[in-house]
Amino acid sequence: MAKKITPGQTFVFITMALLLIVVLFPFFWLMITTFKIDTDIVKYPPTLFGSTYTVSSYIKVWQSLPLLDFLKNTVIFAGSVTLISVLFDSMAGYAFARFNFLGKKGLFIFILITMMIPFQVLMIPLFIEVYRLGILNTYAGLILPRMADAFGIFLMRSSFVSLPKELEEAARVDGYNEFQIFFRIMMPLSKPALITLGIINLMGNWNDLLYPLMLTSTTKMRTISAGLALFVGQRTLEYGPTLAAAAISLLPLVIVYIFAQKYFVQGIATTGLKG
Amino acid sequence: MPTLFRSFQEFLKKPKGAAYLFILPAFITLLIFTIIPLVNAVVISFQNLTIFLAPPKFVGLSNFSRLLQDDRFWNALKNSFYFLLEVPFQVILGLLVAVFLSKNTLFRKFARTIFFVPTICSLTAIAIVWSFLLDAQIGIFPYYLTQIGLPQLQFLSDPNMAMPTIILTTVWKNFGMTMMILIAGIQSIPNSYYEASQMDGANGVVQFFRITLPLLIPSLGFCIITNTIGSLQVFDQIYVMTQGGPLHTTETLVMYIYNVGFSTQPFDLSYASAIAVVLFLLIMGISLMTNNYLTRRETVDISEG
Repeated sequence: MAKKITPGQTFVFITMALLLIVVLFPFFWLMITTFKIDTDIVKYPPTLFGSTYTVSSYIKVWQSLPLLDFLKNTVIFAGSVTLISVLFDSMAGYAFARFNFLGKKGLFIFILITMMIPFQVLMIPLFIEVYRLGILNTYAGLILPRMADAFGIFLMRSSFVSLPKELEEAARVDGYNEFQIFFRIMMPLSKPALITLGIINLMGNWNDLLYPLMLTSTTKMRTISAGLALFVGQRTLEYGPTLAAAAISLLPLVIVYIFAQKYFVQGIATTGLKG
Repeated sequence: MPTLFRSFQEFLKKPKGAAYLFILPAFITLLIFTIIPLVNAVVISFQNLTIFLAPPKFVGLSNFSRLLQDDRFWNALKNSFYFLLEVPFQVILGLLVAVFLSKNTLFRKFARTIFFVPTICSLTAIAIVWSFLLDAQIGIFPYYLTQIGLPQLQFLSDPNMAMPTIILTTVWKNFGMTMMILIAGIQSIPNSYYEASQMDGANGVVQFFRITLPLLIPSLGFCIITNTIGSLQVFDQIYVMTQGGPLHTTETLVMYIYNVGFSTQPFDLSYASAIAVVLFLLIMGISLMTNNYLTRRETVDISEG
């Protein structure tokens, strides 16, 4: 039996195909343009393809921007924040999920409130505080304020709530203390949620602009987003190298996305369904 | 003292004591780097502090009364609300795409994967790419548009076009996120609803309005609220694409805070803080109005737990 294709389905298919082109085109254009020579990039009328291709944009950006520093800073900042906050968030989330204690509701509301404060409200006092602590423009200054966040605590809490109660009772009988139960039993069982939170935090911090822009002040300490935005703002770079730098900053996350797609989607889905 | 220490150790071994230890690191972090700065934000807005951090004086409400007469502030507030147009465009596009792509076929899965790619990319890089694509001199889009008979458009330098352009590029960047959340919502609707309605002779459009849409209200609400709050905080793409120009037509509240406090003389942190406090009240207002909606389940869980 042949499946009948309705005009409606054809319309939907064509619309989706067009939308795919709209979404992919800028990436496609970026890929081609970073390999063009500068005269091809600025010529009028503009063309999608160049007359000849070269890697000189990538070489130039490598020579004129401390990209290696930017990448190193981004890895240290986003990586440490991700590891530490996943640990602290899951510890707090675990306590809210599995224990009853005095002040639980109050503490929970306290954390709820911190979720409603936009970063822009905190940025000036945070800048001053980090300066007064003497850690402005250091890794500590970038990492410490982000060691825990309310969203992560909620996400981990909802993951720990669903684990069966018998697990920890059996472990207690076996003489495990609370920390052994958490690290040896609960954490391994929550791996999907931990990876999801890790990816969300990695993505957020890797791409963040305003926060690292404020808390760093020398070129050597900039993250890739902040460094890139500043150099583009100054218009000191030629077009080709600017785009090459943008491409380099996008690549790591796109690679992570290709390999860990499942966890990105899972995380987004659980976030939305909570509502 | 040793006995006290030992009894403290014993206390921590019990579940109740351990619970506090589990929460402690997160609590301290949030206290020092969120709550204290929040209090200070209000304090600073009543002072006259600049970026050089000379000892500030208490100036009362003068920063706030200055706000009322500041045309650039009212302009920024207006622009922040103007930018909120991004939300309906983005949510409707995300919803339509989600409805079309909710079934798990190979093409649909592929399309979903691609539509989600812009949401993982940094706004900085994306904004750089778009400002090249839309550039009046060398941009490929304005050129293509002249080929189909339109005049040479100045997407980012025409005061009337800059904000709509930024809104559209933001929709391009964000609709994939809304789509993913809504697909998860659609997939959790029991298939039997659709089967039953099909037997009653309902077509796709009727099913959409009678089944999908009503049951998606919670997920849709979540998308609308979080996107509204997020849109009020828009910064990155404006910073890269226009820096608030031309003629302040894209200067939103956050961009204005940044310009006042960090990029133009006299780096008036207190005045910037006063604007930030207004932004906070605005977002807090929206959060409280929708608070029940977003946290009902969380708090119910807690009080039962």
